[in-house]
Formats: sequence, C-alpha cells, structure tokens
Amino acid sequence: MDLDFEPVFDSAQFLIGGIGLTLALSALTIITSLALGGAIGLARCYGPAWLRMPLVFYIDSMRSVPVLVVLVWTYFALPLLTGVTLPPFWAALVALTAHIAAYVAEIVRAGVNSVRAGQSRAAFALGMSRAQAIRTIILPQAIVRMLPAFGSILSITIKDTAIAAVIAVPEYMNRSQTVAGQSFHPIEVFTVAMAVYFVILFPVTRVVDMVYGRLAHLGRS
Amino acid sequence: MNFDWSVVWRNSDALIEGTTLTILLAVTTMAISIPGGMVLALMRLSGVRPLVWASAAFTELFRNLPLILVIYTAYYILPVATGLSFSPVVTGIVALSLNVSAYNGETFRAGIASIRKGQSEAAYALGMTRWQTTRDIVLPQAVRRVLPVLASTWVSLFKDTSLVSVISVGELAYNSMRLRAQTYRVLEMLTAMAAIYWMLGYPQAKLVDWINRRYAVTE
Repeated sequence: MDLDFEPVFDSAQFLIGGIGLTLALSALTIITSLALGGAIGLARCYGPAWLRMPLVFYIDSMRSVPVLVVLVWTYFALPLLTGVTLPPFWAALVALTAHIAAYVAEIVRAGVNSVRAGQSRAAFALGMSRAQAIRTIILPQAIVRMLPAFGSILSITIKDTAIAAVIAVPEYMNRSQTVAGQSFHPIEVFTVAMAVYFVILFPVTRVVDMVYGRLAHLGRS
Repeated sequence: MNFDWSVVWRNSDALIEGTTLTILLAVTTMAISIPGGMVLALMRLSGVRPLVWASAAFTELFRNLPLILVIYTAYYILPVATGLSFSPVVTGIVALSLNVSAYNGETFRAGIASIRKGQSEAAYALGMTRWQTTRDIVLPQAVRRVLPVLASTWVSLFKDTSLVSVISVGELAYNSMRLRAQTYRVLEMLTAMAAIYWMLGYPQAKLVDWINRRYAVTE
C-alpha cells in the first residue's frame, strides 16, 4: 500500500480553515448549550410546577432521538414549517444546542440534587431566603460536582460537530470528505483527520480531569 | 403550505425495513462489544505492560474520535488493509463495535475497580483463591454498577446507528433520507423518521432512568 500525503499538504489551508470552523462551531455550541441547558435545568428544579412536565418531556425527547436526526430535521424540514431558511452553520448551531442543552439540563439537575437536603435546611434555619440558599449554599457546591460531566460535554460537542458535515457545514469533517473525494486519497486524508481530532480531543479530557482534581475538594460536604 | 402525510404510509415498507436494520445493527454491535469490552478490561487489569498499553491506547483512541469519522475511515481503510471487500452493513458494524467496545471496556474496568480492595483482601484472608474471589466476591458486585452504564451505552448506540447512513447502510435514517429525495415530501419523511426514532428511543431512555434508580449503589 503506497501512502501519499501530498494531497493533504496541498489542501492544508483549506483543511485548517475547516478546523477553525469546527472549533468555532464547538465553542458557540458549548456557550449556548450551557446557557440554555443551565436555564432549563434550574427551571426544572426550582421553576413553577406547570413548567416541569413540558421541560421533562423536552429533555427526554432529545435524549431519545439521534443528533443526526435533529440536525437533518432542523436544516431541511424546519424551513418548510417556519419559512425561514438558516444557513448550514446556524442550522447546525441551533440543532446541536437543542440537543446538547438537554444533556446539560440533566447534569444540572443531578448536581443540584446531589447536595444533601440538610444543607438547604441549615440555610433556612439561619434565616436565609430560598434564593439566598440556592445562590450561596447549593449552587457553589453543585457546580463543582457538575464539572466532570461538563468536561465530557465539551468533548461530546466537539465530536458531534463532525456530524454537521452531513448538512454541508464546511467544517473539518466536511472539508476532509471534499479533499478525499477530489484527490482520490481518502485513506491519507482520513488518517490525518483522525490524528487531528485526537490531538484536539485527548487534551480536553485530560485538562478537565486535572482541573477537577484540583477543585474536587470544594464540592465536598 | 400543504402537507401530504399519506406518503409516509405509502412508503411504510421501506421505513419498517430500515427500522428493523437499525435494531439489528444495535443488537449485533452490542453482542460484539460486550465480549470486546471484557477483553479490553481484562487486558487493562492484567498487569502485563504491553497488554495494558495496547488496551489503553485502543480505548483512548476510539473514545476521542468522532464516530462518523471512524465510519468513513473504516469504509475506505478496511478493504485496502484486509484485501477483502466488505458490505456497508459489515463496515458499519465494525466501526460501531470499535467505538462501543472502547466505552464498554472503560465501563467494565471502572466497575471492577469500584469494588473496594478490602473486599478481595477479606476474601483472600478467608482462604479463597484469586479466581474464587473474582467470581464470587468482585464480579457480582461489579455487575450491579456496570448494568446502568451499559444500559446508557445501549441507548447511545441505538441512536449512533443512524450515523452509518453516511456509508449508505439502508437503516432507518438512510431510508428516510432516500425517500425524502425520491418523493420530495421533505417535512413528512423527516418528521416520520424523527417520530419513529422517538417512539423507539423514548421508552428506552425512561427504562435507563429506572435501571439507574433501581441499581443505585448506596454504600
């Protein structure tokens, strides 16, 4: 088997641009998912009772449908319903956020529930209001405990952006397919892609573990 | 805007066929990946350096790659590397199994490692052999911790089978998208696809929650 990495180097600029877009899409998705998922998770724990059922339904539905389906549906079917056509990148951002926010909401709920009831009772006994107890007692502990799970959300998001290639977002996966198709050297192109994704993702998991190791004691009670 | 939902019923054959293949893909992959994961976990815990490294490298590699990339790479590399031609279904199963085996290996390893050392030390003190200790003391407890994680992995796998549609395996996602292109009933077909996944996936997600509560370990 003769390997020829020339085509990869020839298209280096094009591929690097794809990596940039992968990272940009990942970063935006993580920010919006944390915001939306955090809001949903807190609303599920502390919000009004009537809001809980629709939120649980949303979270469980997103957990039961493949992200590919959400992406394809958002890009191809949603415009027919709303009349608004989103460019692939923004459709991917919307779809990935809708999907990942559900997982974030579950993590927030698990984190909040992991703080013993005695903690909030003690806060109330000291005369704190509910909002004060949540803000100063429960959340600081809960957030530290959520960190490892948020870490896996980081790598899940980066991996899921590769699926956006299916709706023609010109991120790294998509551009690798283009180069593979044009150069007739798919093996070399995808081998380099595996190396690139690994080099991005492996440190993410490691750094998260390390940071958590430093902060874990803050979440103990 | 007019929608014609009858297109879904007229093409129900292809949808049912796709759904069957989706389930088959998930079952086959899990059937391969449970023994695969056990082998990886045993290698990791064997204490033999080359085996530990090989297992760790395999696990870290496939846990840190997007599955869709593994699927594409398998599609192009398998025939060249082995000299055989694989059907897309087999290629899909290989790629899914590599991914899920890596996750299962970690699950088994963590499950076994989570049993406190005192447990096996107590067993040795009672005169049990290493094999007896593993079989009677460690594994029965580890299974309780592994089961909920395996259930979650199963649900992820069930959803991830949709990704093999990119190498034209005729499962639910592929068939739905093919029908979308053939019939031009985009919204109807894609909504039907999402609905079928939802109907199959929702009870599974609920079941996983139940298993998690049922087998929650409180020490």
